[in-house]
Order: sequence, then structure tokens, then C-alpha cells
Amino acid sequence: MMRTETREGPAVLVVEDEPLIRMEAIDMMEEAGFRVFDAGSADQAVALMERHKEIGILFTDVDMPGSMNGLGLAAHVRTHWPRVFIVIASGVINIDKAALPEGCSVYPKPYPTNQILAELRRVACASE
Amino acid sequence: MNVLSAPSTVQGGLPGGDVLTSVAILMPPGDATAASLRDPEQENIASIEVTSLDHLADLVDHRIGAVLITEEALWGVGFDRLKQALAAQPLWSDVPFIVLADGTTGDRSEAASERTDDLGNAVLLPRVLRAEELLRSVRSALKARGRQHDARARMEELQNRERQVAESEAQFQAIANSVDQMIWSTTPDGLHDYYNTRWYEFTGVPEGSTDGEAWNGMFHPDDQERAWKIWRHSLSTGEPYEIEYRLRHRSGRYHWVLGRALPMRSADGTILRWYGTCTDIHEIKIAEEQRQLMLAEMNHRVKNTLAMVHSVVSQTLRHASNLDDARAAIQSRIGSMSQAHDRLIHSSWLEARIGDIVETAIAPHRPEVDRFVIEGPDLPIGSKQALALTMALHELATNAAKYGALSSDEGKVRIGWSVDGEGEGEEEVFHFTWVEEGGPEVREPSSRGFGSKMIEKALAGYFQGAADLAYDPGGLRFHMTAPLEGLTT
Repeated sequence: MMRTETREGPAVLVVEDEPLIRMEAIDMMEEAGFRVFDAGSADQAVALMERHKEIGILFTDVDMPGSMNGLGLAAHVRTHWPRVFIVIASGVINIDKAALPEGCSVYPKPYPTNQILAELRRVACASE
Repeated sequence: MNVLSAPSTVQGGLPGGDVLTSVAILMPPGDATAASLRDPEQENIASIEVTSLDHLADLVDHRIGAVLITEEALWGVGFDRLKQALAAQPLWSDVPFIVLADGTTGDRSEAASERTDDLGNAVLLPRVLRAEELLRSVRSALKARGRQHDARARMEELQNRERQVAESEAQFQAIANSVDQMIWSTTPDGLHDYYNTRWYEFTGVPEGSTDGEAWNGMFHPDDQERAWKIWRHSLSTGEPYEIEYRLRHRSGRYHWVLGRALPMRSADGTILRWYGTCTDIHEIKIAEEQRQLMLAEMNHRVKNTLAMVHSVVSQTLRHASNLDDARAAIQSRIGSMSQAHDRLIHSSWLEARIGDIVETAIAPHRPEVDRFVIEGPDLPIGSKQALALTMALHELATNAAKYGALSSDEGKVRIGWSVDGEGEGEEEVFHFTWVEEGGPEVREPSSRGFGSKMIEKALAGYFQGAADLAYDPGGLRFHMTAPLEGLTT
């Protein structure tokens, strides 16, 4: 679904299978002024990416059920939409950096909200 | 000096301890030969004078050293008794007889020869004999007899040793087969040549079939190479062998086993054998794996719970109009999560019953007069869904107490759930409703806080369904539909 915002710039796609946590991420992004799409799985996320070219930022969880987890989704997006900025949020303490696509930002869960938003604002400004 | 010392026995009596080294003499009284045994140059030879073949038979029974007898004395009464005594001797014993011929040693009658032969170990000497020749014969007979005793002692020692070895072997087998471990041994180059019965009981393979290097085939294919590597390392360095691997049980399943071995060395340090054990550690190993899995699962759940608390707190703070309201809301929200956890702990954690979850969730909001009507079939509900439903009911109940049916004395809340479409080929659909009535008139709020988001969006997300919250003026109505699998998957 899409939320209308007055602000122009890249939209954010939030991918998280835990609805309550997804809600928080959406809240955080909306409050920062981003247009937000959300998905509960990698498959839904890919379908949204295909329909909405305005998505410029992928914000995804790692551990998700379905055909792809967050790392698989990140790799897929890096290949098919190389310009999309990827942020990975992980509950795993020692994530294998080698398994990540190039140019990803990684944040722990629960989210360090201010750090994430600061980075996303920089990305949004750079893309304008 | 009489070389044959004075006879040591009384007539018919039994001799003392030196009978084994004495010569028994049976001669007619006054025989000149006895006198010829006198030789002052010779040492004494112990002698026992006997008077009858019966007496001689007794001495044979007592292992007399040798017998000097005249040929004609063999024809006396009691020869059969003597023959029996000779036949009854143990295997090692063969009493030497020196028979002094009746006349010359040649041209003997058949009967006379036979009688001498009946004695077994007999030499026939001419009656007329020089004293030293007779003495030499007696001495060599006693010497030969002494060798029989030596041989006997040696034989008994060997038999004793053999028995000890057999006893020790039996003892080893008893110990090796009574312990709960598999025991094995190998040659210094690592070829297996012994397994205790526990090994064969465990593996169920025929005895001897895992000798040499065939043991490796009993290991799990994924463990064979690793085991070989470690075993070869021990064989080449002499370092103790230790490994955990999966061994094929006779049931066909693989059990985790702890394998250990140590070398036995000679005095100069050369390895003589390897002795090893296998201990079935399957249950310990499985328990350890389960513990690790449970720890990982607990870690996941705790992190997830913290993330949810984080979400609740940050969203509550974001939408709260003042800090006091936020504090109260955060406390009661975290409290409702805690109740859901308690309920889940009392069931199997993975699953609970929906009726229990609903009852637990509304319990803190139930005034003394019951305002709730709860109806629905007994259904299993997954832990995530149970937690989400508890939190959503908490939001609905809190809202009802503040603004809805529970804020007035007459208001009621109907909570119901049901399953539709149980016909063939139809997807089973789960319905859940919360309907308030009898409260003040309902108005749609101007902004949506955490509570309405939790109810409208998050709850349906956990059930993979859709939710509708209607601000009906007569009372708030909430309805969720979801596939029945959404309750537990």
C-alpha cells in the first residue's frame, strides 16, 4: 500500500515479516517524511518493486520465511535495480558481511532510529 | 660301612619320607648278593628291605625310588597285586626294577621273560655281579627315577601356569564383557584383532567381520574420512586417539559414540598394541544439540520480544499527547504482553487454546459484574498469533473502558469466533468479532494511535487475514477474517 506524502524523493520499501515491528518501521519512515510501501515477504517486496519505480530505498529484515530471506532479496534487488539503496536490519549479532551485496548498510534490531533516519535523509538528498 | 644303609622299615610297615629316594630290596634271606653291595668307598644308598610282593606293591603305591629283586622272588605270592600297583601309577611314574637273573641272563623261558616284561621298566642283570656294577645300576635307576620327579614337578608347574592363564583370560573376558563400553584392540599397525561382545551386541555384525580395517565401514559415511585421518595420526605419532563420530547401531540408525585409544608400550617404548573403547554418548549428544537449539530459539524469541517492546514503546511515545498518558499506556501494554507469555508458558509455548488466550487477555478488564459474552469453538492458536490477539484485545478493552461499552454501567461486549466453509473443497475461514453495545455514542477518532494500528493492521498481519474496525454510533465493531491455517502458521 502507499501512503501519500507531500514530499518528493525516493520512496522506501519496508520488508519485515513481524507485523508489529513492520508497523514501527513504517511509522519511523513516515514520520521522517518518506513515502512508504511495505511487504511481509521477499516475494511481495519484489512484486512491489516491479510496480513502483519510485522506490529508491529497500529497508529489509534478514530472517524471513518464504522463497528468499532478506539477504536473498538484497542480492536480487542489487542485480535488478542497481540504483536502489539497500538497508539491512538484522537481529543476528554476527552477520556474515561477505554474504551481503556491495554497498549495503547494516543496522541491528531493535532499530537505532536516529542513525537510520540520518543515513536515509543523506541518501534522499543525494538522489535529488 | 654298609653302602645300603640299615633297612629303615619294620616288616610290613610303611616307610618314612625318604621312600622316594630309597631302593626296595627283595631277596631270599642270606643271599650273597646283598653282601656284594657293601663298598666302603661309596656313599650310602637308602634301602628298604621287603619280605613280600604285597609289601613291595605298597611301596610302589608310595612311589618307591627303585626296586632290586631276584628273579625267583617274582614268582612269590602277590605278583598280581604288584602288577595292579604298577598299572595304577600316574603317567609320569615308571618304577625302575633291577632283576637279578635266576642263573644266566640268556636262554630264558617265555614265562620268565614275560614276568620280567610285566614289570615295565626292568633290567635283567646276572646274579654273579661285581659290587660296583650293581651299585652303578642302582644309582642310575635312582637317578632316572629322580628325573621322573623333576619332570613331574615341571609338568605340574606348566599345568599350573596354563590354569592361571585360563583363569586370567576368563577374568579378562568377564570384565571386558561386563562394562558398558565397547572395547577393542589392534596390532601396532592398527589392524583390529579383538572386540568385546558389547561391540557385537551394539553393531549386530557377525563376530570377526570387522577385524582388520573393516571397522571403518561401520562409521557414518560423513565421519569415515575424519576418523581415518585422526586414527592414522595416532598410529604414526603414538599420540592418544580421541574422536566423536556416528557408529551404525544394529537398528540401522547411527548413534553418536566417543572413541578413545591408548598405546601399550614395551620397556624400550615400542608400541606393542593399541587398546581402545567406544562409549555410546548418543543421548548426551542429542540432549546437547537440543539444548543448543533451545538456546538459539530462546535467543531468537527474546530478541523478537525486545523488538516488539521497542516497537510498542516508540509508537506509544510518538502518538502520546503527554508523558503521563504514555507511561500508563506503555506499562499496561507491556503488562498484556507479559500475560500472554505466562499463558503460553503454561501450555506448550508453541501453541495455546484460543479460549484461554481470550479469557486471559480480558481478565484485567473484567469488572465485578461480568460484561463480556464470549462464544467460540475450542481451537489451537500459535504463539505469535496468541501474543498479537492478547495485545489487540488489550487495546480494544482499554478503549472500551475509556470511551466505549465498559465506560457505562449497562454496556456489554460480545466476543465471538467461528469457522466457516467446512464443506468439501472450500477454504476454511476463521472469523473473529468484538461488538460493543449499550455504551455512549461512538465517534470516529480524529487520529489513529498505536491501539487502532495494532487492531486494524498488525493483528490481521499475524493471522494473514483482513480486519475491519467500524465506529458504529451504537457501539464499536471489530471483525477479522483469516484463513484457518493463519491461526497456527
